[in-house]
Amino acid sequence: MLRVSTTAVAFLLLAASLAAQDSAPSDQKTIALLVQQVKALQQETSDLREEMRKLKADRAAAPSAVPATETAAPQQPQATAEASVPESSPELTAAMHDLHGIQWGGFGELNYQALDQRQPGLGTYGFVPGSAANFYTGDFDLFLHSRLTEKTSVLADIAFEEADAQRYKLDLRQALLKYEMNEHLRISLGRYQTGIGYYNSAFRSAAWLQTTADRPLIMEYASNGGLLPTQAVGISLTGAIRSGKLGLNYIAEYGSSDTIRPDLDGSGTFNDENDGNHVLLGWFARPDWAPGLQLGGSFFHDKISDSEISLADRFGQTILNSYVVYVAHGIESLNEAFLIRETRLAAGAVFNIPAFYSQISRRWGRVRPFVRYQYLNASQRNTIFNDVGLRAGPSFGARYDFNDSIAFKAQLDHTQREGLPDLNGLHLQVAFTF
Amino acid sequence: MSARSISVLLITILASLAFTPSAAAQGDLAVVVNPGNPIANVSLGDLRKLFNGEKRSWPGGIRVRLVVRAPGCRERTALLQFLNLSESDYKQYWTARVFRGEADSEPFAAPSVGMVLEAVRVFPGAVSLVYVGDLKPGVKVIKVDGLLPGTAGYLLR
Repeated sequence: MLRVSTTAVAFLLLAASLAAQDSAPSDQKTIALLVQQVKALQQETSDLREEMRKLKADRAAAPSAVPATETAAPQQPQATAEASVPESSPELTAAMHDLHGIQWGGFGELNYQALDQRQPGLGTYGFVPGSAANFYTGDFDLFLHSRLTEKTSVLADIAFEEADAQRYKLDLRQALLKYEMNEHLRISLGRYQTGIGYYNSAFRSAAWLQTTADRPLIMEYASNGGLLPTQAVGISLTGAIRSGKLGLNYIAEYGSSDTIRPDLDGSGTFNDENDGNHVLLGWFARPDWAPGLQLGGSFFHDKISDSEISLADRFGQTILNSYVVYVAHGIESLNEAFLIRETRLAAGAVFNIPAFYSQISRRWGRVRPFVRYQYLNASQRNTIFNDVGLRAGPSFGARYDFNDSIAFKAQLDHTQREGLPDLNGLHLQVAFTF
Repeated sequence: MSARSISVLLITILASLAFTPSAAAQGDLAVVVNPGNPIANVSLGDLRKLFNGEKRSWPGGIRVRLVVRAPGCRERTALLQFLNLSESDYKQYWTARVFRGEADSEPFAAPSVGMVLEAVRVFPGAVSLVYVGDLKPGVKVIKVDGLLPGTAGYLLR
């Protein structure tokens, strides 16, 4: 580069002298300016030579320094290390979030749901027997995050969840102290979303993040009648596994997922599962050769009770999950399968509850039409989930994004229910983030 | 054309030849990091993981700090194509990552190349994409799959 610069300076001098030969007296000032600039360039060349000499000397003294070939692309003058560490401007520091403090965000939603039965589809959101159409606010989430050190941070998700008669429950959905040792080990302590399945981890409690207006029933929060322990208090470890282009990651959790779930029939009956400490082991892969594809699975085990029968009557609960997800090029394809296995420890009776959902959507501009089919089959003989039975059916709809913060969703649901009339519903939702 | 005009033209051409990269390299996107970052090469897969936030620390343990251009800029368009995301999907993707605690915030969107370069110079873990023609001293260009911008087979452009 220095050779090129020297040659250029020589040509500059030649060109300047050519210009001087044909110049009028009025151009003398311009020529003088050019000569001055050439001198400045010569000085800069000299300075650069000196700096390079120093850098070479430094590099010779420190063999671990970055080789020159790695610091410059061919024919480029960039990539020189500066002599002193530059200081950041306050604007840049603020923009890069290098300041300690709390960052706030949030999610909200307003829903209108009309059903063709005077019986709610979920034990949630102000629906009571006799009401066929309702407005409700769902969850209003305040999310906060604070970085304590380079590797430590705190996050919390505080949800105001609508209950019956416009009363609101406060739920600390997430409260985590996180420590990131490196990309192979990240530790979270506190209340977390369990790693069962993709949906629970990916969308948490934010309706704005979801394409559909509601969660698949199998992924519904236990506090709304869902079957799975979606949250727990304990320790969670995640990280990448050295696996080359396979992109393998692991999840390991140990915690208390004690759950109280309402029956889905809106009867107001609750079941306190009195869960013990659960163990979850999971994995997922994001292969380099298929950007957007994610494959995963998990194993969950705990012991629970049926409080409607006897707290002493314990069940072993094992939940297996596997999923294939593709999100790229405007396409979203979510496919998850579950097997919930309840084993009555005293009697040895086993109940298997298979479930799956498949959802596909594609974005066309601001509109994202979607279709989803879900299936869940809980044995009526299983006293813990006898309010659920067999439920299956499709959902159709579309999401329209007004901008990057507000979306409108319209969804039609048809649900077949074992021993009950089919349920048809219209669900409208405005979801937003701030 | 007078001799003076020719000389001015000559000065301009020579200055361009001396201080700018070849035209072929101009359209390449260089991956730039802080000069103190020991990394010299990154695979295309790892680069995607860096810019979608999955890879959150450098081999030395320094936290990765993403610096991208603001919406509408050509570097941003190239980045979105690289990640197979639309602008809305990108925004939603990062909102979800923050909500899951997988990121502090959406990557800093710099309004100018100068600010990108300043950020990369200042923050040890910073990484960004800059067109070769916009490169300035003080940042380090790293190889992608063993290739520097301007070489045959370089994929980022």
